Amino acid sequence: MNRLAEQLAANDMSEFGLHNNNDSAAIAGPSFQLAAGSNPAAFAHHFIDAKSEKDSLIKIAHGTTTLAFKFKDGVIVATDSRATAGNVIASQTVKKVIEINPYLLGTMAGGAADCSFWERVLGMECRLYELRNKKRISVAAASKMLANLVYRYKGMGLSMGTMVAGWDEKGPGLYYVDSEGQRIANDLFSVGSGSTYAYGILDSHYRYDMEVEEALDVARRAIYHATHRDAYSGGIVRMYWVRETGWEAFPLEDVGQLYYRYHPEIQLTNSAESPLTVAPLA
Amino acid sequence: MDAQFAIAGRDFVISVTDKGVMSSILKMKKNQDKTCQLSSHTFMSVSGEPGDTSNFSEYIQGNVKLYSVRNSQDLSPSETANFIRGELADALRSRSPSHVNLLVAGYDKGAGEAALYWIDYLSAMAKVPFASHGYCGYFLYAVMDREYTPDITLDGAKALVKKCFEVLKTRFVIDFADYTIKVVDRDGTRELRQDEL
Amino acid sequence: MMDFAPMHSAPAEVPVEHHSHGGWDPYVDNGGTSLAIAGKDFVIVASDARQSDGYSINSRYDPKAFTLSNQTVLATTGYAADAKRLVEVLEQNAQTYFHKHEKQMSAPAMAQMLSNTLYYKRFFPYYVFPILCGLDKEGKGAVFAYDPVGNMERVVYQAYGSASALVQPFLDNQVAGANQRGHEGGLLDRETARKIAIDAFTGATERDIYTGDWLDIFVIDQTGIHREKRELKHD
Repeated sequence: MNRLAEQLAANDMSEFGLHNNNDSAAIAGPSFQLAAGSNPAAFAHHFIDAKSEKDSLIKIAHGTTTLAFKFKDGVIVATDSRATAGNVIASQTVKKVIEINPYLLGTMAGGAADCSFWERVLGMECRLYELRNKKRISVAAASKMLANLVYRYKGMGLSMGTMVAGWDEKGPGLYYVDSEGQRIANDLFSVGSGSTYAYGILDSHYRYDMEVEEALDVARRAIYHATHRDAYSGGIVRMYWVRETGWEAFPLEDVGQLYYRYHPEIQLTNSAESPLTVAPLA
Repeated sequence: MDAQFAIAGRDFVISVTDKGVMSSILKMKKNQDKTCQLSSHTFMSVSGEPGDTSNFSEYIQGNVKLYSVRNSQDLSPSETANFIRGELADALRSRSPSHVNLLVAGYDKGAGEAALYWIDYLSAMAKVPFASHGYCGYFLYAVMDREYTPDITLDGAKALVKKCFEVLKTRFVIDFADYTIKVVDRDGTRELRQDEL
Repeated sequence: MMDFAPMHSAPAEVPVEHHSHGGWDPYVDNGGTSLAIAGKDFVIVASDARQSDGYSINSRYDPKAFTLSNQTVLATTGYAADAKRLVEVLEQNAQTYFHKHEKQMSAPAMAQMLSNTLYYKRFFPYYVFPILCGLDKEGKGAVFAYDPVGNMERVVYQAYGSASALVQPFLDNQVAGANQRGHEGGLLDRETARKIAIDAFTGATERDIYTGDWLDIFVIDQTGIHREKRELKHD
């Protein structure tokens, strides 16, 4: 499982007839400093656990609801905004949509730094592709580049569950890419600890031929209900729409406010003593 | 948790792979093709560790195609299977083993006969008349042992596949919504719908 | 067979020294608290100076907020040795940048550099929770908060460290006006921000055993960095 160590040992391994993978390094990439010793991956695993909420010393921002789906007029992307480290809410204002370029979006679930770093690298690779080929990269190619980048670090403890959404010559594109190296295409995805709740709403209300307003409403409600049931999700709903002209962002909506919109029987009053009153049952 | 099995007759192989992509308790996708076409008369079905599956099969596909281009000739099913086994064995002894289970199916135009190879992630290989990977083998091997004959026809194999589906439906906890069903024979490879069985 | 297109594996850089990992633990949490509050044209940074290891106090005055340039301050918490090393690396890079470009690194440039510096140690992290403070291009107060592996967020205020669970909700209420009816919102003025920072620390010192002794306060504005040292309780 230890790919870095293999690379380190690449020269020594040539006597065993293994490929020296570095000679044709078509993919340039950043170089990382590792802990000394024979198994740096085990070291990294011991102290940082981006995959679970276990009590490792170095806690990494975690927990999420993100979703994206294709529909007749493009792709909708929606996320919550909560980051948790252990049982502490580290932030309620995280931007979990990464704007790779005006036509490509990536979402953030798992290790926040893993997502933002590798999608920044992807942004650079996409720009270089444009300069070399005088045309925009396809969503398929961009997502494949991301999958290849992180696959090289499989087993090292990266944690990334991302959806790459965009528009290219073929129309709307949507892929799920994760740190296991998995990459799959589909019309609808949700990723993160709140994804099961979001799927519940999406699967029962999603239709391909929705109008934009309805699509946004389904996305908003899916995120809202996920934040309501999943303690690791919350904050604000952030939504994007990708179409032929590129993506556009929508105003942020606090899930605290949405609660009162979706539960009209509960009224917010101005009484400081009793901020919430429930209308008596008829 | 994938369903992956195949049955070989004298001049055909029929292969079945489920179409589900699962991630812990979640079904992420229900129409994923888990087979990989290697040449006109050879393909393989792949299961195992997510990421490794697509990476390893694309690597194999690329190199098998590269061989065809360089030599203006396709590798035979047995050559293909032995090449794959070798690559998997090398990977196993490196620091980055690929955790993939394979069924290689093909029709050897030279010899005029079909071949099915079972390869697991430890790169053990066997040429077999019928094969399965994972949990579904616990249900299907008995059925295939009982029903299989070396001179089985394609229609007979299709009926056997249907019997296998029935067993999985009644006894296996997982409900596989849909399957990729592929047949390879002297005419090449083609995909069948469930209602064409 | 012939030469195949190879599969790729990862590039990496490794120190030559070798340790066995059986129980090798290079991290300690030295406690302490840091906070920053951004204003219209200033930033307030405050850190206590106590350094602890478990129930022992190593030092009553070991500052953990550092000036990186005459426009930026880095406030840290976590492992003090890693924090000092991180500051060295950042200072070196900022110095190189200065000689290369004949100008001081801006706070946003420094912010991205810090993020990358942290991520390049993704598999052997600095156990540090940094808050980088300075002024942006428009001269507005800028606070950047990070996790140990470089996830970055620009915020208006942030508290990190052993008393962060006490101080952050206090700042949510006093700086952002969270859960206050009729709060106008907007940024604080300099004197109010300074008072809130001090109150946060006197309060944290009362309730957190790892926070106390001395308080370093930095105010960054157009004219430079203004430093103040105040006493906290020593128990």
